[in-house]
Amino acid sequence: MRDVIVYIEHSGGKPRRVSLESVSQAKELAATLGGSVHAVVLGKGARDAAETLKAYPVDTIQLSEDADIDAFLLDPQIDYLEAVAKGAGPALILVANTMVGRDIGSRLAARLDAGLTSDIVGLSVSDGVVACVSPKLGGITITTCAFKGDYGVAAIRPNAFKAAPGPGAAAIVELEKPAGKTYAVRIEDEVVEAAGELGVEEASTVVSGGRGVGGPEPFKTILKDLADAFGGAVGASRAAVDAGWISHGHQVGQTGKTIGPQLYIAVGISGAIQHKVGMRTAGTIVAINKDGTVPIGEFADLVVVGDLFQIVPELTASVKELAAAHS
Amino acid sequence: MKIVVPVKLVPDTSADKRIDPATKRLVRTGVETVLNPFDEYAIEAALQVKEKAGGDATVTVVTMAPDSGKEVVRKALAMGADDAVLLSDPGCAGSDVWGTAYALAGVIKKHGFDLVICGSQSTDAGTGELPGALAESLGVPGVTYARKLELEGTTLRVERETDTGYQKLSAPLPALVSVTKSINEPRYPSLKGIMGAKKKTIAALSLADLALDRPIGSDGAKTELVALADPPARGKARIVEVADGADGARVIVEFLKDRKLI
Repeated sequence: MRDVIVYIEHSGGKPRRVSLESVSQAKELAATLGGSVHAVVLGKGARDAAETLKAYPVDTIQLSEDADIDAFLLDPQIDYLEAVAKGAGPALILVANTMVGRDIGSRLAARLDAGLTSDIVGLSVSDGVVACVSPKLGGITITTCAFKGDYGVAAIRPNAFKAAPGPGAAAIVELEKPAGKTYAVRIEDEVVEAAGELGVEEASTVVSGGRGVGGPEPFKTILKDLADAFGGAVGASRAAVDAGWISHGHQVGQTGKTIGPQLYIAVGISGAIQHKVGMRTAGTIVAINKDGTVPIGEFADLVVVGDLFQIVPELTASVKELAAAHS
Repeated sequence: MKIVVPVKLVPDTSADKRIDPATKRLVRTGVETVLNPFDEYAIEAALQVKEKAGGDATVTVVTMAPDSGKEVVRKALAMGADDAVLLSDPGCAGSDVWGTAYALAGVIKKHGFDLVICGSQSTDAGTGELPGALAESLGVPGVTYARKLELEGTTLRVERETDTGYQKLSAPLPALVSVTKSINEPRYPSLKGIMGAKKKTIAALSLADLALDRPIGSDGAKTELVALADPPARGKARIVEVADGADGARVIVEFLKDRKLI
């Protein structure tokens, strides 16, 4: 492996933070490998995203606004990325550990006969071999895996690396449309229900509610307000999702998403094993519960025992005050 | 129409998993093996497509597992799947996502298929990467995270969950779809289903039957485990009883300030 290729996720031309975090990490890796960093940004808005990327240490920004990219599911993007990878030669490819990133990564790895690692929190190079560090089995063990072969695809956990702008001499390359391809999975309609909201996988602070929250309302009010005060996302336990209080996309745990935000606030969540494996690698875990003997006490950093309906709004007010004082 | 559902056998989801410090392997003693809970949604979706299509539609469950996995596979048959294929070979051990997808694609191609329906992720690895890799290995369109699935003639109509909402998609057969928990409520096997499952065929295949042109298992893996470490230890939690909301907020704010989180 020599070059590092970073797939940039963006929404309407605004790169996702995790993609900027990946790009920032790529430079050092490429320098050790003796190669270059290529950022690949595809679809409507790619040119706008490229403007943001110019402030980051990348060597080339390879883009296309080909209408097929937004008209068909994934396949055109895989073809473009395959072309970039084959053009670059043996390379490490970074995607985000998100729904989109893992989808792209799994397809691309199969296409390139490449190794695939996910939920990566550390990357290193020794003797030209790239190794990836990731928590496994709900965080009970931390594995280091090395790539074999010419290509490797690593899905980077959001918030694991810092986004650091830096001098780049990014040349913008317009990608040629891959020849002789036809696409079958047509996007007939795209419905955005939560515009501008961060997903639980991406947020650096996640405020989750469980059975103790008692119903759907607090997810839209007190929990949402607290998450907003931190610039974070609202999560939920399985109990809350199964009760229909909030959609499955918010579920954290074994049958939901596995996440590792800097701060996880568990509200009215007892901390059953199914939940624990989805969040125990969070940097700091704070629990708010009326019962001080719940299992979450075994792996949280702080358990505040009291009435969540009183504590959460007060906490929101305090966090907002502090934020206002700092701005 | 041939519908195929690839399934995975996983450790019981309510068990607290741990790594044996000596062998560095997952402790399986005393942990029951179950059908990956997400796969039950895939089986239910397949049965619903079959029931609606009628005629000669069949649902076949395929898996890569040791022989001992047979009894777990029988649960899928008890739900209503017609038969199963078990790829069981010591050479499968140590397969990564790529190898698993490649071998399962071999099994599915040998059986023949019009539609492949997968669960969106497993509860042990949980990365959700198999469906995409399998679609590539099969060389068919892949649609992930479906929360609604309908077949109109030979066109699939799918609602696909995204980070911010959903997409409405159409795709021709043959295709692969992975489904989320939102798609249905899996049926419980009936007594009749359980009795009937005992008579259904679970065909056993070995790697030799597939004649794959590349090795899978540890030999074919594209990644190599070089180290295993314990996660950083977390100190014992501070447990604080608070007088009221303001007191609770104060305790949390002080704590977060100490950790430079606010």
